[in-house]
Amino acid sequence: MTPRITAIGSGKGGTGKTLIAVSLAQALAHNKERVLLCDADLGLSNASVHLGVKDGGDVAGLIAGKTALRNAVVGVSCGPRHSFDLLAAPPGAGTFANAGEAAALTLIAAVEGARQYDRVLIDLGAGVDAAVMSLAARADDTLLVLTPDPASLTDAYAFTKLMLRRTGARAPQVLVNMALNGTEGRRIADTLLQAAQSFLRIVPDYVGCIPFDARVPDAVRRQSPLLSAYPQTPASLAIETLARKLHSAIDVPQSAIGLR
Amino acid sequence: MQLRTFLARDMKEALGHVRADMGPNAVIIASEKSKGGGVMVRAALDEPDAPVQPDAPAPVESAPVADFEMHYRDGLMRRLRAAPTDAPARTRFDRTELLSALHRHRAPDSIAHALAEDAAKAQLTDMTLALASAIDKHMTSAPIDLTAATALLLVGPNGAGKSAVAAKLAAHAKLRDRRVTLVAADSAGAGAVARLETFAKHLDAGMAVAEAAPELQTLVADCVSKKTLVVIDTAGFDPRDARARNAFSALGQIAHVETLAVVSALNDAEEAGEIAVALKTLGARRLIVTGVDLARRAGALLSAAMQDLALAHITRSPFVAGGLETPTSLSIARLLLDENRSRQ
Repeated sequence: MTPRITAIGSGKGGTGKTLIAVSLAQALAHNKERVLLCDADLGLSNASVHLGVKDGGDVAGLIAGKTALRNAVVGVSCGPRHSFDLLAAPPGAGTFANAGEAAALTLIAAVEGARQYDRVLIDLGAGVDAAVMSLAARADDTLLVLTPDPASLTDAYAFTKLMLRRTGARAPQVLVNMALNGTEGRRIADTLLQAAQSFLRIVPDYVGCIPFDARVPDAVRRQSPLLSAYPQTPASLAIETLARKLHSAIDVPQSAIGLR
Repeated sequence: MQLRTFLARDMKEALGHVRADMGPNAVIIASEKSKGGGVMVRAALDEPDAPVQPDAPAPVESAPVADFEMHYRDGLMRRLRAAPTDAPARTRFDRTELLSALHRHRAPDSIAHALAEDAAKAQLTDMTLALASAIDKHMTSAPIDLTAATALLLVGPNGAGKSAVAAKLAAHAKLRDRRVTLVAADSAGAGAVARLETFAKHLDAGMAVAEAAPELQTLVADCVSKKTLVVIDTAGFDPRDARARNAFSALGQIAHVETLAVVSALNDAEEAGEIAVALKTLGARRLIVTGVDLARRAGALLSAAMQDLALAHITRSPFVAGGLETPTSLSIARLLLDENRSRQ
């Protein structure tokens, strides 16, 4: 089986993409998936900062064809049953700023056939440039992170529109971050769903909401992965729910086998 | 996308602001009561999208279902009303061209060559007639007489359209003033019973669930004595699997029950042929091919219809009331040679 590729994007920066990607990697690993977290923010890589690890791997070597995938990744251990591999650029290096679509496609081609993983999580960079959108369109699932900020809505809309142009029919799945509660999350998602339905004639799926949680910035400040620092906090629980949802798409539960 | 948020005393005033500031094409994407007692309305406006990149597949034009149904019916009416002069000009028989047309429709090689051979032997100068005469040698059509039918058992793979065919058969029997009972022999399938129940309700037909052969036998005997037509919908299965076949063979052996094979025109042609053959060993003598409106290549239809199963009907419409047509060798020949259709 080739890995299931799940990309996480938002258009706007600061929506919590990287935190969600890192936490999802942990939560999916907890679901016994072999996970590769790939920081495709080629300009400003920061997954390793969130994780508090020194070495993020060698994405530059991989793209240049100098390093094989297995040598380009580093193992990240966040406690028992929470380990995964990380593929990123050195933080703050800026090596791949404006790396372009070709680099993005090289990257995805390298991870697509990596049978040693069940899942490749791609943390897309901010913005909606060709590199970001080509990765978003190539992935099996694309999560689009939306926050209560109206600017996040317009950027998420642009992301959806550009992705539709590339895929023809596949819209991203909407994930709301930093909502006060589930009701607000649904309402925020609905605004994007409404706009997409009115102007793009497509209704993206709403996959859920991660509530605003003061523990999140705290974990980020401590450079400690959220699920390790605060496993029981509402945001962690929401990410675990999301991970189970994503996981069930590749792992058919026993109870559903006889169902038609 | 332009995004604006308006605060107003009430909805009417807010909508007035939206229209005044953003024009008539703005869409309200959110509204809520604001804390001060008024309303907050968020509106968006977007320019029509630029044309898609040539290599990307065309975006799906989605529209409300009601619009689609209107569009579909309009198209149907237009085609029905179209003057017969729209018929393709007569072409002279040419073996190579016939083979290439059959190839375009993905007809299996063995079938294509057999048809070309027979068409050549027919010594007809008209291509369509030559092909029709060749098809005629390999295919029979035998529509179901819904006035006389007693019990019809629909078998076929998942997604072939058995439930929809059951509904169509029931609808057409109703038009002939028959009483109809729809039977779900598939109570395990999620929504299978519910779907049939919905059909039964709308068609004013009876509805029953039969788990096993003895139960079905009693039900059929009872309905036959009351001259009620029984249409039995089964769970989908792969008829090429002997074990799966065995599980269904008992149903077809019940007195008064005729087994009807249901095969989708959207199959690969070879698969469709194999499925038809397998359903024949299950006791089917007649075949219904579904989704002919969806298939742009008629290979599966041709392949299924040329396996010694009489072609009873084809369906060309997702709507229950949109008929069960009875194709003839000539209509299938036209379908295969209609260049416009195959190039769609």
